[in-house]
Amino acid sequence: MDDKKRPGGLTALAVINFIFAGFDVIGVIGLTVSMTMLGKLPTDGMTAAQKAQIQELQNIDPSIFTVNIGINVIFFVLLLLSGIGYLNQKKSLGRMVGNIYGALGVIGVIAIATIFPQEVGGGFGIMSIIGIIYPALTLILLNTTFKDDLIN
Amino acid sequence: METLSASHIRIIAYYWSRYIVRSGSGLAYLMIALIFGLFSAQILIMPVEKFIQQKQDVSESNLQNIRYSIINIEKPIVQYVLGVKSFKEVGQDLPNDLMNTMISKPVAEDSMGFDRWTSFLLVKRPALLSAIFLILFFGMPFVVTYLAFNQLSGDVQSRGLRYLLLKTERGNIYFGRFLGTIVFSTLVTALIIAVITFYLAMKLRIYPAMSLIGWSLHGFMALSLLMLPYIALCAMISASIDSPMLSFVVANLIIPGVLITAAIGRIAWAPLKYINYLLPWGWQNHLLHPSPIHLLMALLGCLVYTAIFLMPGYYIFEKRDL
Repeated sequence: MDDKKRPGGLTALAVINFIFAGFDVIGVIGLTVSMTMLGKLPTDGMTAAQKAQIQELQNIDPSIFTVNIGINVIFFVLLLLSGIGYLNQKKSLGRMVGNIYGALGVIGVIAIATIFPQEVGGGFGIMSIIGIIYPALTLILLNTTFKDDLIN
Repeated sequence: METLSASHIRIIAYYWSRYIVRSGSGLAYLMIALIFGLFSAQILIMPVEKFIQQKQDVSESNLQNIRYSIINIEKPIVQYVLGVKSFKEVGQDLPNDLMNTMISKPVAEDSMGFDRWTSFLLVKRPALLSAIFLILFFGMPFVVTYLAFNQLSGDVQSRGLRYLLLKTERGNIYFGRFLGTIVFSTLVTALIIAVITFYLAMKLRIYPAMSLIGWSLHGFMALSLLMLPYIALCAMISASIDSPMLSFVVANLIIPGVLITAAIGRIAWAPLKYINYLLPWGWQNHLLHPSPIHLLMALLGCLVYTAIFLMPGYYIFEKRDL
């Protein structure tokens, strides 16, 4: 059983994990840059509407940025570890970490949509649905289609 | 043909539609199709959402204004896709400032000066959904190759098909896998359209629910039917080529290649635009036409093209060395 051949779908799932982990890295960099640069932006040549928008962003509690960065880092680690787990068909690293990512992913998207202001990705929209699809799909696939493939 | 068995085809189709996620191509298709479909919808819905947020007051009279404003926004997309206006004309008509265009006083329905087809899609049906359908009609044929490219070639290459041939005939495998691919593609199409419709109905609330449901059902059936000839083409390619990678490349060269050749060729020599008719590109939007005759012809077109691609593939697969 230990040398059971890895199905192509599991490899695809791992590749998608690595792609989304890459997006999380970009998210962390973007949020860190926004957080540090926001107070230093020169608003001289801007229109009143643009200035108001910058002001709104500056009024956001910095801890929200920190929490958002934290969530991205956690998802990055979970995606990376579970991706490696899928490739090696590991029970703990693949199935368990993958399930944790799936559950946290669904909860995280709902939490971000409901708690965070729209300027930092809050509010329920089609993007939230896109964000929820992959963790939900991971949960479903790991517990049905690939249930017997993560055995090492 | 005498060796075909309905029960075998049904069993193979059922297991293929389940196995396709395990094999990876189904999973890739599911993700790409969902992301493509929902992102396309998001691009069109986002300005409308911002506009509604600005307006705040969503009374019935305001709703009518919002609907007309959406028509102004979606008009260039629809007119270009239907061939009513050229790219240059559409570019000239495009508003400089999207939000101001939406806020400006809407034009009365009867003085819009649309042709019958544009008017049907923009005025008589939910314009936002019509524009989303046109984008899906354009994009999904490219996306479906990710699902359909490996109906047979992978198993031919690995010789795995020989084990299956001990239990059933080649024709049953060919048609069973084709049907299984259709089932999976249809389920994904249903999911995409259901999510978009649900979102429009529950979040935006600018169109009556029944109108949204009716039009989305039409769009779903049209899009599902449109996928048939493209899946059949991939079945033919997959039955003819041993390597799944080569099968994928060839499918991805033919489907966009026909469209690009026609688009570029018509500049040099106008009749080259008819190359589009080698695939459904030339007439596929008629699946959203107001005239029942156009609709029926497009529907028949889907079935005829499917048969044209499917049958040679079947004969190739029957005769080839496995």
